[in-house]
Amino acid sequence: MNIIEISALRKDYSLGSTVVPALRGVDLTVAEGDFMSIIGPSGSGKTTLLNVIGCIDYATAGSVKVGGREITALSDRQITDIRLNKIGFIFQTFNLIPVLDVIENIEFPLLLMKRSAAEARRRADQLIEEVGLKEHAAHRPAELSGGQRQRVAIARALVTNPDIVLADEPTANLDSVTGASILELMRRMNELEHTTFIFSTHDANVLKYARRIVKIKDGLLEKEPAAA
Amino acid sequence: MRLIFTIAWRNLLRHKGKSLVIGVILFTGAFLMTLGNGVISGMAAGIEKNIIDGFMGDIVLISDGQKTDNILMNMMGSSIEPINSYKEIKKVLAAQPYVRSYLPVGKNLAMLLDEKTSTPGFAYLIGVDFAAYRKMFPDNLTVVEGNYPAQGERAMLFPDSQRSEFYNFYNIWFLPEGGKVVKENLSPEALADIASLPVSSSVVMLGMTSGINSTSDIRFPIKGIVRYGALNKIFGHFCLVDIESYRECLGYFTAADMAAQVPKEEKKLLGLEGSDLDSLFGGDMMVTAYKKAPQPIKAAKQAVKSAEDGTYNAVFLRVNPGVEYRPALARLNGALAAAGTGVHAVPWSKASGPIGSMALIIKSALFIFVTLLFCVAVIIIVNTLTMSALERASELGMMRAVGAQKPFVAGMFLCETGVLSAVFGGFGILAGIAAVRVIPLLRITTDNDMLQLLYGGNFFNPLLSLSGVALTALQLLGVTIAAALYPMRVAARITPLDAISRD
Repeated sequence: MNIIEISALRKDYSLGSTVVPALRGVDLTVAEGDFMSIIGPSGSGKTTLLNVIGCIDYATAGSVKVGGREITALSDRQITDIRLNKIGFIFQTFNLIPVLDVIENIEFPLLLMKRSAAEARRRADQLIEEVGLKEHAAHRPAELSGGQRQRVAIARALVTNPDIVLADEPTANLDSVTGASILELMRRMNELEHTTFIFSTHDANVLKYARRIVKIKDGLLEKEPAAA
Repeated sequence: MRLIFTIAWRNLLRHKGKSLVIGVILFTGAFLMTLGNGVISGMAAGIEKNIIDGFMGDIVLISDGQKTDNILMNMMGSSIEPINSYKEIKKVLAAQPYVRSYLPVGKNLAMLLDEKTSTPGFAYLIGVDFAAYRKMFPDNLTVVEGNYPAQGERAMLFPDSQRSEFYNFYNIWFLPEGGKVVKENLSPEALADIASLPVSSSVVMLGMTSGINSTSDIRFPIKGIVRYGALNKIFGHFCLVDIESYRECLGYFTAADMAAQVPKEEKKLLGLEGSDLDSLFGGDMMVTAYKKAPQPIKAAKQAVKSAEDGTYNAVFLRVNPGVEYRPALARLNGALAAAGTGVHAVPWSKASGPIGSMALIIKSALFIFVTLLFCVAVIIIVNTLTMSALERASELGMMRAVGAQKPFVAGMFLCETGVLSAVFGGFGILAGIAAVRVIPLLRITTDNDMLQLLYGGNFFNPLLSLSGVALTALQLLGVTIAAALYPMRVAARITPLDAISRD
């Protein structure tokens, strides 16, 4: 079953009087439980594609279905609800809430969902253990290393049991060893939680972790290379 | 809500500098407003108490012909209309169960004549029955030199603050009859001249009214130097004199009475004999009781069986404790009109003119000042919070990306401002309350007229009311909402894409 169905997706950015096409008619389907990588050089449109799939950016034209639901015509409130309930995000710069400690950062989306504090804490405890940061539960983000922060971001992305986790160059700011451990973790979580993972990268070393690779160039998808 | 509060609180601690700037502004505003309300309340209560208890009672009866209700400190030359119906008024007042006591008075401006320099000075005269005055306002006056006049005695009680002013003006130090210079009571200027201090125990006053041209210069023997219990600097402009001398001074006899003093042969020369002089000088100013039988002054005094037969300018009236003020005023006015007394009742606040409305004026001025202060505070807070929202775009955008709705982000900013208001504004209010409690203990006094008004008495006695605190809290709430609105809007409009773009 396809969790994402995209057809004829266009995304243009206006820079004054100039229109810059970022996506120029993308067609893509992603199966549930997939562990997929979007690769391409800088400016190819991979981040834009992830943003549109993740309801962070709006399509200029075309159709985007997430979990069978067309998202291109939804209101801000509906879009935000989808982000909360269906999608988990892992950003390049490990965006965590600086005033909350590790465990609070992980349970944050659950509290937004109005889950009880006890239930949120139970699930956060489970995930913090899975990402190996139990002893850092009371630490603030500023007290963690880059790799540890990204682990927290992964745990937070998974805490709501989302249908999809989107990761935009999750290892870009990490050294190769830490980056590898993060990808290992994502892979493990994919297998453990059966969550669909889509991550973008321009690092060829990362590709070996993906089961499916989609290449994008100049806003168009190219022929899919074989998965590692 | 707990999550919003947690994040808001920790953000405030994280950005201590900004929090402190906003907090200090809120603290200052709340403190000034609380203290200001305390000062105003104290002033209003003080003025009310001192004027009601010490000067003119709750209600004042004035002539229907009186153009303004203000009879306390009216413009120079603007005289108080006479009342010639006190006997009828007295009957009406005696029938009102809510009336506790009343005192008829004469009150007008007089010119003090200096026999040496002929330089005029001015003072207000209050003509009273001294015994009745003391009964009505038992704690209002303290005799600092001399004594109270005996019953029916012609005399003046001279205020000590006026004495110092007149010394500077005329170089005469007024003493009570038979009194000696009391060194401790001398003004600094008089003390400097003590070796050759010119003294006098009488004062010559010429009544001043706008409608009567038959006022007289009367020499008043000074029986005592007095000090008013409160607002001494302001009430010190009023010299208490016996009512009969007052009437003579103000010319409250008919024109025929005055004509009666002209010798017969002169009347013939003037062609006035047998003419009705009242018709020439007719008007309400004249004492109607004497119109039918014009007599020389001495005889006229005999004709007046009691002081109550003569002319007054006002009646000061106290109501019983607990009486509802406005209904009593309405009932009284109805009764006075029905009896055809030609007078009506006005509340003390109107009769005392600008002094009575001073509280409202200063309250309005303070309100405008604090509103301006809060407007500046709102602008500074809005700027600071907006900058904070833009600086935190990455964090806020990320919150939106993981599913926080716009109201959550807006609520976080409102909560941050609310916490600052509650903490700093709360402390501001508490500090204001503490200041209001401490200031009266310091017994700060003043001799300045305006400051005495601001103090509502002789010493600074701010008074805090629950409504004053509630008003400050309400204003703080308004500031909080007004200051948070725009930053909330800015914060809520930050999108996840903004956060990513900034990275």
